[in-house]
Amino acid sequence: MTASAASLDDAPAPVLQELRADEHAWANIAPRYGVTNPEPPWKVSLTATLECLSAGETLPSLERRHIEDRLGETIFRDLSGAELQLVTLAQILLKRGVLSEQDLAERLRAVRARLEAE
Amino acid sequence: MSHDHDHDDHDHDHDHGDGHVHPAAPMVEEITDFEVLEIAVCELAIEKGLFTAEDHRRFTEWAEQIGPAAGSRLVAKAWTDPAYKARVLSDPVGACKEIGIDWAEPTGSGTPSDYMNLRVLEDTPTLHHVIVCTLCSCYPRPLLGHSPYWYRSPNYRRRLIRWPRQVLAEFGLVLPPEVEVRVEDSNQKCRFMVLPVRPEGTDGWTEEQLAEIVTRDTMIGVALPRPGRTADDVRPVHKARRPVPHEGGAEAHP
Amino acid sequence: MSGNSVPARFNVGDRVRVRDLPNLFYTRTQMYVRGATGVVAERTYEDLIPEDEAWNRDGAPREQFYIVRFRQKDLWSGYPFETDTLQTELPDRWLEPAGG
Repeated sequence: MTASAASLDDAPAPVLQELRADEHAWANIAPRYGVTNPEPPWKVSLTATLECLSAGETLPSLERRHIEDRLGETIFRDLSGAELQLVTLAQILLKRGVLSEQDLAERLRAVRARLEAE
Repeated sequence: MSHDHDHDDHDHDHDHGDGHVHPAAPMVEEITDFEVLEIAVCELAIEKGLFTAEDHRRFTEWAEQIGPAAGSRLVAKAWTDPAYKARVLSDPVGACKEIGIDWAEPTGSGTPSDYMNLRVLEDTPTLHHVIVCTLCSCYPRPLLGHSPYWYRSPNYRRRLIRWPRQVLAEFGLVLPPEVEVRVEDSNQKCRFMVLPVRPEGTDGWTEEQLAEIVTRDTMIGVALPRPGRTADDVRPVHKARRPVPHEGGAEAHP
Repeated sequence: MSGNSVPARFNVGDRVRVRDLPNLFYTRTQMYVRGATGVVAERTYEDLIPEDEAWNRDGAPREQFYIVRFRQKDLWSGYPFETDTLQTELPDRWLEPAGG
């Protein structure tokens, strides 16, 4: 636990460093389209994911929230709201080996291609 | 595995049956990296067996339909019906059922974060409640919907317990010293909501009119309801400058 | 799940002090109430204490939980408002009787 937790705080996982965090932050992008909803549309799905993970005891919410607070003031200090929640979740799953960098990178490409084709 | 997404900020053009075609509400036309990441993480988690698509769908449907309108209805009804108000205080979960909110959803025993132990905190002219969760940001989601980002921030959670009147003043709420400010730190399984004092100037109002002025912030305790106030202020995000030492966690970060 | 529960030691109105037990990995008893004296405002429910939940000790007995109310003046030195209070929820084992 100690070793993996140390790298949790050190730096964003490489695949997460590729995110266009500033450009795609909801707070920046929504006003450009005149969208006033304070939350991005995927937040409800993320909420469900977090509840499922908490129910399954993969990631108790108190533990996750402590990590979110910490990373939100350090390596993810430029993220907030749902984006901070999402990226923290991904960071935890990657650093704990639940998901592999390669699997996630491939899936990101596949999902984007699928959405862009719609 | 495909994954359904509802773009809930966007309406399709269609005839509402009233003869009018309603124009589409604005939507974000770009596919953001965050949207892609959220789908990818969810799909991979299901494939890894961390949870099932069915469970995810059930929680998504639950998360889509919660909002503060339920809390507003509860307060408005309590203000107009003294017997209902008594039930709100003595059997809060039962009183929620009367207005169509079931704390047992969506699993039959609530959610892993909200449980089924609501308590309603009744304000009086000399007692004002305000709610925080210093440990994480527990919130009565079945009644109030998703918590606002400021409620989740270390800034609010760390400062409200220590300097409540200063924090309330930042929200525009200043209370005289003779009013007791009672902070509720919701750190276990109880979930709390404030029942504000019914304001002056609302005599003869219907429940619908009353519900309009009971906004989310008045049920957290950072604002007071009053005639004409039908929306909460939008709050800018201020990140705290010093790292927060976690109450109750292991002292050395593991 | 085990059906046994530890008898509740406190009633509404009792003065109690928060113990300063050694932290297990995760605890929900905040540092700022450790050692403070307050009054039991309400008995809420019986449940496993959160530390036991964190370690999945389902066989552990259930305990009474209480909402304990503190004067802010007793929590923070120099707190300037006489009547302000703070209340939070604590399990039975985290409390001890406070004399007087």
